[in-house]
This record gives sequence, C-alpha cells and structure tokens, in this order.
Amino acid sequence: MRCLVIEDDADTCRYIRNGLTEAGYNVLACDNGLDGLHHATNESWDILILDRLLPGQVDGLSIVAKLRDLGKSTPVLIVSALTSIDERVRGLRDGGDDYLSKPFAFSELLARVEALLRRARPLRDPTQLRVADLALDLRTFRVLRGATAIALQPREFRLLEYLMRNEGQVVTRTMLLEAVWDCHFDPQTNVIDVQISRLRNKIDRDFSPALIHTVRGVGYRLSADG
Amino acid sequence: MVSVTQSIATRLALGFAVLVAEAILVASGVFYFGTIGVMDRRVDGKITAISNRLMETFQNRPVEELAKQIELELHDGIDSDTEIFLVLSPSGERVVGNLTAVPEAARPLGQVVTGEVVREGKRTSGRLIARQLPDGGYLYVGRDLSEQRSIRDLVIRALAAGAGASLIVLAGGALLFRHQIEKRIGQIRRTAGRIEAGDLKQRIPVASDDEFGRLSVDINRMLDRIGQLMDGVRHVSNAIAHDLRTPLGRIRNKLDEAVRHGATAGSLSEAATSAIEDIDGLILVFEKLLQIAEAESGVRTRSFEAADLNRVATDMVELYDATAEEQRVSLKATGEGAVLAAVDRNLLASAVASLIDNAIKYAGPGAIVQVGAYAQARSVAIEVRDNGPGIPAPERPRVTERFYRLDHSRHLPGNGLGLSIVSAIARLHGGALQLEDAAPGLLARIVLPIGQTPEVAPDPAERESLRQSSPMRCS
Repeated sequence: MRCLVIEDDADTCRYIRNGLTEAGYNVLACDNGLDGLHHATNESWDILILDRLLPGQVDGLSIVAKLRDLGKSTPVLIVSALTSIDERVRGLRDGGDDYLSKPFAFSELLARVEALLRRARPLRDPTQLRVADLALDLRTFRVLRGATAIALQPREFRLLEYLMRNEGQVVTRTMLLEAVWDCHFDPQTNVIDVQISRLRNKIDRDFSPALIHTVRGVGYRLSADG
Repeated sequence: MVSVTQSIATRLALGFAVLVAEAILVASGVFYFGTIGVMDRRVDGKITAISNRLMETFQNRPVEELAKQIELELHDGIDSDTEIFLVLSPSGERVVGNLTAVPEAARPLGQVVTGEVVREGKRTSGRLIARQLPDGGYLYVGRDLSEQRSIRDLVIRALAAGAGASLIVLAGGALLFRHQIEKRIGQIRRTAGRIEAGDLKQRIPVASDDEFGRLSVDINRMLDRIGQLMDGVRHVSNAIAHDLRTPLGRIRNKLDEAVRHGATAGSLSEAATSAIEDIDGLILVFEKLLQIAEAESGVRTRSFEAADLNRVATDMVELYDATAEEQRVSLKATGEGAVLAAVDRNLLASAVASLIDNAIKYAGPGAIVQVGAYAQARSVAIEVRDNGPGIPAPERPRVTERFYRLDHSRHLPGNGLGLSIVSAIARLHGGALQLEDAAPGLLARIVLPIGQTPEVAPDPAERESLRQSSPMRCS
C-alpha cells in the first residue's frame, strides 16, 4: 500500500510515518504543500493523509480540491488542529473522505486509514453479510447466529452491520459514533463500550467462538479468529 | 473637534439652512406675484376694457363727443386721481386729456405698455394703451403707476425684512443644531476614548430616548457584551491556571518518579501509559473549554439548519439506552410529533447527550429519565427530566460556572464543565438553559426562541423577559 503523508510538523510527521511503516505501508512524507501537491497529482497513491494548515501558498484543502478536479478519487484523510464542527464539515465538503482532529492516537489514525482503504473497494454482496456462523440480512433485517434468530433494536442492527462490513479490522469508538449514531462530537463517556457490551450479550454470550473483540486503547474488531 | 468643513453637523446645519432659505424665497415669490402681479394684471385689464368701450361707443360719432365723455370720466371721482386720458388730433395736437406730453413709448398701437408720462405737470410712470381713431387721431388710455409702485416697494421691503429676520433666526438655529449634535457625539467619543485608554467600565450617559439615546443604549449593550466575553476569557485563564496545573503536576511527578527510581522497562511503560491517560483527560478538558469559548463567542455557525428536536432527543436516547439499562435507569423519549427549529444539530445533540449523561449519573439506579421536545408559543424547548435528588435551589445558578461541582458529586467522574457547555450552546442559539425542580428531581430545559435569529437583537422588553427567565445567565 502506497501512502503519501503531507504534514509540516516534523514530530507529527515522523509519528505518522513510523507508525504506518511499522504497519507495512510504503510511506512518502512531504513537509510542504507545494511538494505535496506535486507528488499527489503526479503519482498514484492508495491513500493520502494531509494536514490542513501547511506552510507556503498551498494548503491541505486546495490539494484535495485539485486532486478532485483532476478526477482522482484517491481516499484522503485530513488531519487537522482545526477541530470545530464547521471546519470538519468544510474539510469533508471540499473532498476529504474523513477528518481526524489533532491531537490523535496513532491507532485511531490507522483504523481510519484501513476503513478508507476498504471503502475504496466495492462490496461483493451488499444484501447479506456473514462472519463465521453469524449472518445479517440487510433486506429482511434478520440476524442469525447459527440457527438461532437474534432480535436487535434498529441501532444495534446498524452497529452490527458496521462491524461486519469492517470484518477483521479495528474500528474506533469515534468511527462507530459517526457511522451508527451520526454523532460528530465526542460524548466523552463510555456509551459506546456499553452499547458494544449489550450487543455482545446478544450475539456472543451464548455462542462460541466470540466474534467481537476489544482492542485495548483503540476500539473493537469483529472476526471469527480471536 | 473636526474641522468645520468636514463636520457632518456643520454640513447638516448648512444644508438645512439652505433648504429653509429656499422655502422662504419661494413663499415670498408666491406672495409677491399673488399681490403685485394680480394688481398689475387688473390695471391692464381695466385699461384695455375702457379703451375698447370708448372706441366702440364713438366709432361713428364726432371726436367732440368723445372729448366730452373723457372730460366726464376725468371728473366723475372714480379713479380720477390715477386715470390717464389723451386724445390727439390727426395733426398731433391735444384735443382733450390730462397728459401734457405725448408719450413716445405708447407704440405699437393696441398694446398695453409701461412708459414715462407727464400727467398734470408731474412726471410719472404709467401703463397705457394707444388706439388710432377713425379720423386719424389717437386715443391714449392709461393708469398712473406711482401708487402701485409705492405699494410694491412696501411689499418688497416687508418681504426683505421678513426674510432677513428669518435668515438670522435660521443661522442661529443652525449653529445651535450643530452644537447639539456635536455635544451628543462628543459624549460618545469621550466615552470611547476613556474605554480605549483602558477603563472598560465606562458607559455613555443616556439622557433621552431619541436616536442618539438609542444609539448610546446599543453601544452600551455592545460594551456589556464585550465585557462579558472578556470576563469569560479571564475566567478561562483562571480556570486553566487552577484546574490544569494540578493534573499537569501529577503527570510530571509520575514521569519524574519513573525515571529516577531504577527504571525498568515495565515501570517505564506503566508510567507512560498512565501519563497518556492523564494527558488524554487534559486534552478532553481543553476541548471542552474550547467548545465553550467557541459557543460563547456567539458566532452563528454555518451549520445552522432546520432539525426536528424530537428526532435529536430520540437519537440521543438511543445512544444512551444501553448505558441506562446497565445503570438500571429507565430512559425514555417522551416527545411527540416533530418540533422544528433552526439549530446546529451536532452542538444541540451534544448538549442533550450531556444532560442525559448527567441525569443517568446523578439520578442513580431505579430512576426514570424522560427526554422530549415541546413547542411553545414563541419558543421550543427540549427537556431532560429525572426523578433523582435534583440540585438545591441556591446551587442552581452556580452549576453552569466552569469547573463548579456540587459537593455531593465530587466523588463521581466529571470535570465540572458539562453544564457550562450546555448553557453556552443554549445561548449560542439565542436561548437559555433553565434548571428547575421536577419535584422530585431535576428538570433541565434548553429553551430556544423561534422566529428570531441570534443575530437580530431582541427588543429590550423581550430581552428583559429572556433574562428574567434564565437565572443562570453568566454576566
């Protein structure tokens, strides 16, 4: 996976580059908008991570805008200290695929990068999701674990659907809040943990193997193998 | 003081003076032509009529009869002192009449003209008409204008005196006008100067309810608001100084200890993990403070759009339902129907989430928490009602202050910022957070005005009622 990082703060840049390299990505880092724009438009990348405020005339959003003008749909994750909701909305409206506020944990960044890369690939069967013996039918809203039907509330259904669509990948609490509850703010309590725990009681407690795994300090992962 | 030519007061006063002077001129003109003009036209009419009558009557009679008639006219006592008659024979000799000299001006024939004449030995000016008689002689009919002239002079003198007096009054008025404007503006400028010099408590004295008075009230209100914001900033600085120092010191000490005492990989990693947790907590506090500051800056964000408040209530109830279940709290959305308002949905949702979180946390197991939105006549409200211990009345105004915590809740997790943020968000929407006794429990209500945006200041009466209904307003 080729990843271009455009970030002017040397420490943050190193933090992202080292982390991604460890996770097996092929990373090129630029510390200014002009170089970034050059690399972003002249080479092919699997994902772009960029800061909004960059030295020089070219800022992050204009790179995204230029990229979209050229018809490139490369996923873009915007990382910024401009954290107000207005700024987020602007970042996403201008062509960013996801917006991460500084300061951030690397695990959150990695989870979002992976989610973006998955989203870039089309789903094979959009009506039926299946992980091990857990099946979710998007047309009939039925959930089966083996032969047992499981009753879920609408939000629980969406939560499980999101976890299953991201099977094997780590999803963070913030990602769940945004995707399932459309909450673009951090309630800063353990609401998500409690929601997951209730979902676990329904789909995991009486069955084996357990499918929902906690990734400490990051979030959750749904997969058949622990 | 501004130079006289640049002064708006001078320009206004001058403009006003010119306008009034023009009005006086027009009025004088109308008066003049309405009197003197009419008199002139009357004279012309009379002269023409008399000459026509004489010409017709004596068309085919000898000139002697005409002369007799004129003698009669001159001595009948009607206008005799101003009438002018003269009949000349074809050879140019005077037949009858009171003119001693033949006026040269009385040509062309048949038209009323003004000319110098000698009437009974006196030079005077008159209006007269000349007609040719059938025998080749001439008939002159006219009026002495000297009396007319003196009336006209009288009128003009009177008008000039009147206009002169008016202009003097006008000039005085304009000066007074200018002085008044400069005095009022001077007050505003002096206050502005003192504020600029650092005395933020200065306000413009408001003496009357005229335009300047209202402008002063508006400016004073703006200054109050700026003062509040400055207080807010000062408060935040104090809060940061007090409440962030402690956790920062704690983190520092922990790391210091870990480095000094025979650092093993295990202890170092433990210290780092603990430091990260503490720092995350600090970041959270910072974010909340920023959020309050942002909301309190009062800038209406671009994200305001119509939203159904009951939908927001239901969304947040569905976010917290698992938590409520776990805490054995019954959490229900009780609002009915759509309640629409223009809001920043995310901010409002976070406020409602915060209220629900509080209700679950403080009302405790077994409690019932109800969330719903309701439309009222001029406002909409979104309520979170619990039947827990509530907040004692004297404490209610204080709980929205930053970092303020009730004594009995200090053992529970929290940073004392939740209600400050909710209150700031309500105020950003032009509304208020009201805390009431739900008997038992707490009723927290975010009231938002409708049909009015925060940008448009409500009129003073409305503002007053808004203020009274929101006892926890920070000021």
